[in-house]
Amino acid sequence: MADHFVDDIEKFEAKETAHTLPVGWVILFWALILWGVYYFYMYTPSLGGWSQNSALEESLQK
Amino acid sequence: MNEYQYDHQTVKGFILSSIFWGVVGIVIGLWISIQMWNADWNIAPYFTFGRLRVVHTNGLAFGLGVGAIFGIFYYIVMRLTKRPLLFPKLARVHLWVFNAAIALAALSLFAGMNQSLEYAELEWPLDIGIVILWVMFAVNIFGTVIKRKEEQMYISLWYIIATVVAVAVLYIVNNLSIPAGLTKSYSVFAGVNSANVEWWYGHNAVGFVFTTPILAMFYYFLPKSTGLPIYSHRLSIIAFWSLIFGYLWTGAHHLVYTPLPDWIQTTAIVFTIFLIAPSWGSVVNGYYTVGSDWSKMQSQYLTKFFIWGITFYGLQTVQGPTQALRVVSSLIHYTDWVPGHVHMGTMGWVTMTTAASMYYIIPKIYNTEIYSVKAANTHFWLVLVGQLMFSVTMWITGIQQGALWKATNADGSLKYTFYETLIKNYPFWRLRTLAGVIFTVGMLFFIYNILMTIRKGSILAASKA
Ligand code: HEM
Ligand code: HEM
Repeated sequence: MADHFVDDIEKFEAKETAHTLPVGWVILFWALILWGVYYFYMYTPSLGGWSQNSALEESLQK
Repeated sequence: MNEYQYDHQTVKGFILSSIFWGVVGIVIGLWISIQMWNADWNIAPYFTFGRLRVVHTNGLAFGLGVGAIFGIFYYIVMRLTKRPLLFPKLARVHLWVFNAAIALAALSLFAGMNQSLEYAELEWPLDIGIVILWVMFAVNIFGTVIKRKEEQMYISLWYIIATVVAVAVLYIVNNLSIPAGLTKSYSVFAGVNSANVEWWYGHNAVGFVFTTPILAMFYYFLPKSTGLPIYSHRLSIIAFWSLIFGYLWTGAHHLVYTPLPDWIQTTAIVFTIFLIAPSWGSVVNGYYTVGSDWSKMQSQYLTKFFIWGITFYGLQTVQGPTQALRVVSSLIHYTDWVPGHVHMGTMGWVTMTTAASMYYIIPKIYNTEIYSVKAANTHFWLVLVGQLMFSVTMWITGIQQGALWKATNADGSLKYTFYETLIKNYPFWRLRTLAGVIFTVGMLFFIYNILMTIRKGSILAASKA
């Protein structure tokens, strides 16, 4: 009974790759943060000037 | 004696309760799916769409989902802390209170009592019951983790702690209300504030009931069932903290193009898009883990449940963020696309992963093997087909709906009436019912397999005694 009761933490975590971050993933991580900064600037009325209302007005002009 | 200390009975009790509420919820899911193309299936007042739909969502999120979470968390925590639960008797009481609460919840929803907040429909007396229930759970989990016999905390424990803390905060804040009698109350939030708080809650209910606890299971049972260690410890930890950090800011993506201030919507969209990274951290970690030996996909029947489960999680976590973008939201919001998204998550990721975890646990409790690997494989293929068919049909009709709503004549008037766009859904809604039936048959194979394993295990135990 007791033997399958507890788990050895070592068996869960690979030794060789324990501290590896895949390069592609790291790039994705930082790229999304940069994109967020850009988007926040562009789509906040007091910064980039875009607003839901002005966009609606514009679409009605067309 | 030992049995009780280790509290396999409570774990098993939760698993069986979860399956029971799952059956109730899925049958009602089929029922409401029929009601959408045949109104004769409404039986007023108790079995109308409006009442059954909330029993479906609550029954499956809280009965099937949270029930499984309680039982499986107890199982994982005991093993990763290398000790029995701190309060095994409390856990047993917790099991009974849980079932009583879900039963009362279902009855109150049938009776039409409803706070009118999605996923927070239950009225205030039940809310108080649920908070007590959660405290019973939290005390046991935290107590056991604090008194643990293994110093290092494996990633699953972090996800478990996040779940216990976040659900408590979200649930209490969104349910703050002023009672007006035993079965009626008024939310303390009003107007735009109410919408904002509701979707902060609603989205994080998805985050902390359908994501973090399922990841806790994934990180535990994938290495256990394959014998392959997790690829990167560091990646799992970084993905965890960035997921938790990102999640809580994203609720307003459910309120794109509403009176909610623009900057709040924008902030939510930014964090939502960021979530792709931490979500895919877990997906990549899962793939690389099995990547060290892909033959496990063939040789160990549970591997494919976990790998396909995390694949659907991966698809969800690209589709979800995309839906938050203003241009996409304006097309698919309010359409059937959203139930398509929902059920790929709930059927393909949540139910797939929890079922696989149960397949792992039940034989372990009885020191035996699963009753039938063949039946498990049949279960797998049926739920896979059912789920894909559900999502794909809803995506198609959802996009069609959105496009028809937007279509205008040269003078700017709408091209289609609402009714014209509605009837175009019918063939797809019928197909969805068929998809649901296929999924349900798959789940019946699962239940049969679990019950037969329990039977086999009990006979084995009796013959040994
Ligand atoms: C046979 C299987 C199932 C069928 C036929 C089914 C059917 C349905 C239907 C017809 C709706 C209402 C959609 C609408 O209002 O337009 C719905 C909503 C929902 N279902 Fe299911 N369902 C099934 C399985 C599940 C499972 C297993 C879960 C969770 C574990 C689940 C969770 C939900 C949720 C959360 C919603 C609300 C979605 C929203 O508000 O957008 N369903 N389901
Ligand atoms: C990073 C991951 C995810 C993001 C960013 C995300 C995003 C979204 C967005 C933007 C919506 C609103 C769609 C609309 O109404 O226009 C939505 C709806 C929903 N999502 Fe996701 N999603 C994610 C993953 C998941 C997962 C894994 C599930 C698991 C079941 C899920 C379940 C739901 C549900 C139940 C709804 C319907 C809410 C309602 O209107 O009642 N999502 N999601």
